[in-house]
Order: sequence, then structure tokens, then C-alpha cells
Amino acid sequence: MIEELLVYTGLGLIALGAFAQLVSGIGVNRFRNFYLRLHAATIGSIWGCVYPIAGAGLVALGYKELGPYSTFMAGAAFVTSFLVLILSPAGSHALARAAHKTRQALVEPCVHDALDPSMCVRGGGS
Amino acid sequence: MKRVVSLAVLVTIVLGMSLLLALSGQSFYPSENLRWLAIVYLNTTYNPYLPDFTVRSPESVTAIVWDYRGLDTLYETTVFYLAIIAGLALGRGVKRLNQKPTDESGLSPIVKTVTKITGPMILAVAASIGLHGHLTPGGGFQGGATAAVVPVVFIVVFSSFYLLWKGVSSQRMLTLRSAGLIGIGLTSISLFLAGLLLGLPSYVFQNIAKAGSPLSMPYDVHGALLSGTLWWFNLFEFLAVSSGFTLAFIILMTPEAEEKW
Repeated sequence: MIEELLVYTGLGLIALGAFAQLVSGIGVNRFRNFYLRLHAATIGSIWGCVYPIAGAGLVALGYKELGPYSTFMAGAAFVTSFLVLILSPAGSHALARAAHKTRQALVEPCVHDALDPSMCVRGGGS
Repeated sequence: MKRVVSLAVLVTIVLGMSLLLALSGQSFYPSENLRWLAIVYLNTTYNPYLPDFTVRSPESVTAIVWDYRGLDTLYETTVFYLAIIAGLALGRGVKRLNQKPTDESGLSPIVKTVTKITGPMILAVAASIGLHGHLTPGGGFQGGATAAVVPVVFIVVFSSFYLLWKGVSSQRMLTLRSAGLIGIGLTSISLFLAGLLLGLPSYVFQNIAKAGSPLSMPYDVHGALLSGTLWWFNLFEFLAVSSGFTLAFIILMTPEAEEKW
């Protein structure tokens, strides 16, 4: 019973990850400035990587045929998803901060920029 | 024009992929007929039934690198050592800045916190690659190169002067590197010296007892495999390579003081 629950929860998380990757891909193509596209890319790495990897770990835990290796695989999957969970936001944060500080990417179209209002280009956009 | 270029790129990618697919079925699979040399290596790398020929390491690559052709690897290590010495010689007499890193230098607190968490993790993975080199793929050089990622990340995230202020100076790295090389040298002649003291025949770079020379490095501790000299070579190579790369990165990434002519 508990094994089936683990497997189906894991499969659900993997399906969620596939959907999130699709959303992220659409977002990266459609969003109109660098920061929004970065946000869409990060959706792909948190919802689309952390959850499916953790889901694969749950599947491995509930998959009896793996024998003693199921805990190895599950442990590796959980550690990997934790690493992606802390590293990917730090990386995208560093990218966005560097782009904003060096004024390489203007905020366009912009509603409000609290850090530096002079970077805010209202309306427009391509 | 742009359309033509993108079409050409697309066609090249498709043709390249199909060429890869067509070739991969033919020539990239290793043949089942092994050469006799490979058979000898695979049969003797861990074989307790052939105590005069085995290396007692299940990882044949490390066994070849540090036992069957250990002298070659020793000279490779020396070449790397000399390359670092040459790099040092290029930058000799250059005054380097040494400022105290402040909280403002480097990237934001978020990145710094994540780096502080992941830095020890990278070191743990590096130690695992290096010190399990006689059991699983990896070894001293690979582990040392992985460990050298940590100083680079810390220099980028915190400050160029962060390592110096934490006591990781180029002099200390040079000392550690020399200690690693001396350790490799001592390991390679340890059984030879023991043979001289005990009056038994033994060779330089001897690991496990061979016919005619009964001396052998201890190859397991309470059932945990050490594979004789391989573990020690990996340990010292790990020290030498990680400190050597760290030394190179410190020299390359610390800004020079402005010279007044």
C-alpha cells in the first residue's frame, strides 16, 4: 500500500515537472524582457527539475524490484534535488543582479522598478 | 541572408546528427575480441588467486596508472609541478594587492550563503573521488581538480583577497604541493628502502609481492581494501594537484599593485 502511494506520488511529481517545463518553455519564448524570461527559466529549474527529481526518488523508494539499491537511488535523488533547489535560485539571482547593476538589461516594458527607477522604460517593449 | 545562415546551420545540425547516428552503430561499440594485453590487465587487476601478479585493486585504470606504469605517472606529476613552477617564475617580483575584504565586496549575501553551504559539499565529493580512486573511477588528479573548484568559487563570490585573509597563501599552497610530491616520492621508494633494511630483494615502485621479492604493501585494513601503494599515491596526488591548481588560481586572480615607474 505505502509503496504504491510512493510510486503514484512520485509519478505525479514527474508529470508536474513535465507540465512546468512546457510552461517554462512558453514563458522563455513569450515574455518580453530579460528579467521576466529569467523568471520563466527558473520555473523550469525549480518546478521542472527539483520536483521531478524528488519524484524519481519517491518512485525508487517504492519500487521493490530495485532491492537495496532503492535507498541509494532515492538518497542520491533527494540530495540532487536539494542541491538544485539552493543553487539554481542563487545563480539566477546573481545573473539578474549583475545585469541590473551594470545596466546591461533595461526593464522594458516596466510597471515599477524600486531598485533604480531610471532603468524603468514605461510602455514600449519588443 | 539571415534566413540562409539559419537554414545552413539547421541543415548542418541535422546532417551531423544523422552522420553520428549512422556511425554509432558501426564503430563506437567496443569489440568483444579483446587484445591479449587487455586480457592480462583485466585478469590480474584484482585476482587473489594470482598473488604474484595481482594489484589487488578492482579499478583497473588506477591500477595501470599507478602500478603497471607507475613511473610514467610519476613523471607526469613532475611535469605538472614544473608547469606550476614556471607560472610562479613568470609572476616573480610582482607586488600584489592585499586588502581586507569587506561585507560589500563580492556578490550578494544570498550567493555567499549558498556558496558557504556548497563549498564543503564540493570538498567532500572531491575527497570521495580522490580517496576511492582504487575502488571506483576517479583518482588523485580528478579529485584534486574537483577540490580546486572551491577556491575559484570563493574568489569569485567573496573577493580576490578572501583566500589570502583566510590564510590560504601561495607560499602555504607551494609547501603543501611540495609535501604532496615528496609523499609520492617516498611512497614509490618505501618498499625499496624496507627491502634494503631487511636484506630482502625489492624494487622501486613495488606494490604487491612479486616472484623473487616477497615484500608487499599492506593492501587491506580490517577488510577495507587499500590496494597497497595506490591509496597513498592517490592521497598525495590529491594534495599536490588541489594545492597546485589553487596556487595557479591565486596567482592568476589576485590583482597586481600598481607599479610606479
